[in-house]
Amino acid sequence: MIWHIAKRELYDNLNNLRFVLAIMLLIGLMITNAIVYLREHPTRVQQYRSSATESLEVLKARTDLYDIALNGPGDLYKQPAPLRFCADGGESFLSEFVDGGYWMWGYGDGFRDFWLLNYPASNPNLLNIRPDVTKVDWVFVVGYVLSLLALLFTFDSVSGERERGTLRLMLANSISRHTVLFGKFLGALISLCIPTVIAILINVLVISTSSAVHLSSEAWERLGIIIVIALVYTCLFLALGLLVSTRTQRSSVSLVVLLLAWVIFVIFVPSTLASIASGLSSPISFDELQKRQNQLHRELWDAYRDRTSGDETLRRTQGRSEYIIEQQEQQERSRREHLNQQITQVQQARSVTRVSPTAILQHSLEAFAGTGFTRHLQFLENTQRYAREYREFVENTDRSDPESPHLIGVPEGMSKKPVSPEAIPKFEDTFSLGKDFNTAAIDLLLLTLFVMVLLSAAYLAFVRVEV
Amino acid sequence: MLLTLIRRELLDNLMTFRFAAAVFITLLLVVANTVVLLKDYEQRLTAYNTATQESHQRLRGQETYSYYIGKLVAHRAPNPLSIFNFGLDKRVGNKITVYHAFVPTIWDAEKHGADNPFLNLFTSIDIALVFQGILSLFALIFAYDALAGEREQGTLRLVLTHPIRRGDILFAKYISAMLCLLVPLLISLLLSIVLLTTSTTIFLSTNDFLRIGGIVLTSLLYVLLFYLIGLCISAMTRRTSTALMLCMFVWGFLVLVYPNMILTAVETTPQPEAYISDHQQIKQMWEEWESARKQFLRNDPVLGPLSRNGEGWGLKLKGVEYSFGPREDKPSILLYFYQTGFHAGKIGAESEPQVPLVQDYHGFYSRGTLNTVNRTWLVRKPALAAIYIQPANLGRTLLKFSPVGLYDAATEAWAGTDLAGIQDFFSAVQRYRRAVLDHFDDEKIFESRQWFAADHGTADWDALPQFSFQRSDIITNAKRALPDLFLLLLINLMLFTIIFLIFVRSEV
Repeated sequence: MIWHIAKRELYDNLNNLRFVLAIMLLIGLMITNAIVYLREHPTRVQQYRSSATESLEVLKARTDLYDIALNGPGDLYKQPAPLRFCADGGESFLSEFVDGGYWMWGYGDGFRDFWLLNYPASNPNLLNIRPDVTKVDWVFVVGYVLSLLALLFTFDSVSGERERGTLRLMLANSISRHTVLFGKFLGALISLCIPTVIAILINVLVISTSSAVHLSSEAWERLGIIIVIALVYTCLFLALGLLVSTRTQRSSVSLVVLLLAWVIFVIFVPSTLASIASGLSSPISFDELQKRQNQLHRELWDAYRDRTSGDETLRRTQGRSEYIIEQQEQQERSRREHLNQQITQVQQARSVTRVSPTAILQHSLEAFAGTGFTRHLQFLENTQRYAREYREFVENTDRSDPESPHLIGVPEGMSKKPVSPEAIPKFEDTFSLGKDFNTAAIDLLLLTLFVMVLLSAAYLAFVRVEV
Repeated sequence: MLLTLIRRELLDNLMTFRFAAAVFITLLLVVANTVVLLKDYEQRLTAYNTATQESHQRLRGQETYSYYIGKLVAHRAPNPLSIFNFGLDKRVGNKITVYHAFVPTIWDAEKHGADNPFLNLFTSIDIALVFQGILSLFALIFAYDALAGEREQGTLRLVLTHPIRRGDILFAKYISAMLCLLVPLLISLLLSIVLLTTSTTIFLSTNDFLRIGGIVLTSLLYVLLFYLIGLCISAMTRRTSTALMLCMFVWGFLVLVYPNMILTAVETTPQPEAYISDHQQIKQMWEEWESARKQFLRNDPVLGPLSRNGEGWGLKLKGVEYSFGPREDKPSILLYFYQTGFHAGKIGAESEPQVPLVQDYHGFYSRGTLNTVNRTWLVRKPALAAIYIQPANLGRTLLKFSPVGLYDAATEAWAGTDLAGIQDFFSAVQRYRRAVLDHFDDEKIFESRQWFAADHGTADWDALPQFSFQRSDIITNAKRALPDLFLLLLINLMLFTIIFLIFVRSEV
C-alpha cells in the first residue's frame, strides 16, 4: 500500500512543473561545478608537485649536519584534495604550506638561531577585488538548493490535499495514516532523488572522463559516503516540509513558514551564530605575538649574554648551544600556543553552528572530501610531527658520530661528517579516512537524530490532525 | 476610486500572516546582525586606532630618514556604513607603506594584523544581504496570488464589472505592495540606526543619513522589482500554486543560483602568463638602474672602495651601525624594487671628508630611483588594471543580469565601500606620497646628512605632511550609485508595462 501511495506521489510530481525546473537547475549547477573543478584542479596538483619537489631538492642538496639543523626542511606543502568539488571548505583562506625554515635572529660570526615552524596566514582577499561569491560545490548545491527544492516538493503534500479535499477521500479508504505519510515521504524522496542522481551522475561523469583527474578507489568510497550524507540531509528537509504541511491549514501559509525556517537555518544561523560565538574568545593579535616573542628573546638573551661570549672557547660553545636550543623551543612554543588559541576560537564557533543542519552538512562533507578546517588541522599536526622527527634525526645523527662534541646549535659543536641525502626524513602529507570518520561521526549522528525527530513529529501531527 | 482600491489592497495585505512573518523575520535578522556588525566595527576601529598610534611612534623612533620603509604608513579607517554593505571595506588591505621606491596600490596594502585569519572561513552577513535575500522573497510571496488568486476566487471578475480601468488595479496593487514592504524595511532600518546611535564609537553625519536614505531608496526599488516579477508570473498563470512554484524557482535562480554560478564560472586566479612578461620588464628596468648605480660607485675613486665597488648594502664609513637592502619581488602584483642604505649614529672623524660625496651620491641615487619608479609605474599601472580590475568589473557586469547584482553595486556605491570608494583612499595615499616626496625635495632631505647619519641633528618627522583621508562626498556617492539605481527603475517601468499589456489582453 505504501508503495502505491508513493507511486501516486511520484507520478504527481513527475508531471509537475517543479520537477522539470529542479532537473534543469541541478544539472546546470553540477555542470558548472565540474567545469570549474576541471579547470582549477590540474593546476593545483601541478603547483603542489613542483613546489614540493623544489623544497625537497633544496633539502637534498644539504650535506652538512649544521646546515641541516640550522635551515630546517623548508616549506612543507599541503596535498590538494581530489574531492574538492564536493566541498570547497574555504581552502583559499587556509594556507597551502607551513614554513619550516623560518628564523628570527642572527648574532654574527656563525652564531644564529635555528629554524622554527611558522604558520603563515593565507589572505587571498587582499588581492581580491571581485564581488563576493559562494563557491558552487556540492555543499552549496545540496545545502542550499536541494534543501529549498525539498521544501518546495513537500510544502503542499498534506495541506494541498486537504485544500482540494482529496485527503479526506483517501483516508475514507482503509489506509492507515502512517502509510499515507510515509508513502508521501517516499514519493517525495524518490522524485527528488531522480534529478539529484541525474545531476550527480553527469557531474561525476564529466570529472571522471577527463584525463587530467584520477580518482582512486578510496575517493570513490568517500564519494559514496558523501552521497549518503546528502541523502540524509535531504530527508531532513522533506520531513520538515511534511511536518509543517500537516500542521497548517493552507499550503501558502505552510510555504511561508517553511521558507522562514529555511532562511534562518540555512542562511543566517551558520554565519551570524558563528560571528557571535567567535566573539566569546579573543586570541592575541599577530602584532601582539611578535611583541611577546621579541620580549622572550630579549629576556633569554640577557640571561645567556655572559655565557655566549668570552674567550674561553668551550664554555662559550656550550653556552651558545644551550641558548640556541632553548631559544628554538621557546619561540616555537609561543607560536604554537598562538596558533592553538586561534584554532580554539574557530572550533568554538563551529560547534555552536551545529544548531543548523546546513553547517553540519558542510562539516561532514568537508571531512569526507578532505578539505576545510579539520583537514587543515590534520595537516598542521602532520607538519608538527615531522618537525619533531627532523630534529630527532639531527640529534641522532650527531650522537652516532663519536668525534662530535655533541653541542648542537653551533657549527663547531656538531658532527662534521657529511649526511647522505637519503637519510634525511622527507615530509609527506597524508590524510586517512578513519580519522575523518571520527570527526564526522558526531555530525552524522546529529543529522540522523534531526531526521528521526522531525519524522516522528510529522507522524504524530498527522495521526492527530483532523481532516 | 484609485484610493479605494489601494485601501482595499493594503488592508488585504496587512491582515495576512505573511505580512506579520515578513515584519518579524526582517526585524529579527536585522537587529541580530546589527549587533554583530556593530561589535565587528568597533573591533576594527580599535585595531585601526592602535595601529595608527603604533606606526606613529615607530616612525618617531627613527633617527635617520633613509630607513623609513614600513614606518611611514597610511592606515585606512573602517567605514561606518560598511555595516550596511561590507563591499571591499573589510576585505582589502588597510595598512599601506608610503615609500619612495614604489607607487602604493590596493594590492600592496596589508592588514594591520589584528584578527584571526581562520575566521575568514565563516561568511559574514551585512544588512544589504538580509534585505537582498529576505525582502525579495517576501515581495514574491506578496505578489504570487495578487492576480492569479483573485482570478481563482472570482473577485477579479467582480471588481472589473465596475467602471475601473485595469491599469488602475495594477497601480493600486503596486502602491499597496510598496507601502507594505516599506514597513519591515523602515522599521528594521530604524531599529538598527537606533542601535548604531547608542554606540559611542560610531558617529553618523548628515551626509551619512542621506547615504542611508539612498540605500533605502535602492532597497525599495529592488524589492518592488521582485514584486513586479511576481506580479508578472501571477498575471501569466491560471493557478496560484503554479504561480507560487514559479516564483520560488525564479527567486532561487536570481538570488541564490545565478550570482554564485556565474561568478564561480568566470572567477580565475591570475595565471603567471598574464603578468610574467610585464614583471620581467619591470625587473629589467630596476636591474638596469642597479647596474647604473653600481657603475657610478665603481667609477668614483672615493666611494668605490667604500662600497666594495657597489656590491655592498651600505658604505663603509666610520660609525656605520647597520646597513640594509630592502627588496620586494612579488611577481603576481608586479611589485619589484630594491634599495640600499645604511644608518650611522655618529660619523667618525676620519670619514668626515667623504660625507659631502656620500650626500651627493644619495641625491643621485634617490633621483634615479624615482625615475625608475615612474618608468615602471607606466608598465605596472595598466598591467594591474588588466589583471585585477578588468576581471572584477566583468564579474560585476555579469552579476548585474540579476537584480541582486544591481542592488549590491548600488548599495555599495552609496556606502562608499565599492571599488571606486576604496580606490579613493589609495589615490589619496598616492597623493600623500607625492606630497612627502615634494617635502623631501624642498628640504633637500635626500641629499641631507640626516638621510643616513644622526650626529648633526636627527630626522624631523613632525615637519612631514600629515596623511588624512576624507570619504568622498555624497554627490560622488550618488553619481556612482545612480546608473544602477536608474537601471532598477527602468526595469521596474518595463516590467510594469509588460504586466499591463498582459493583464489588459487577458481574459478574466
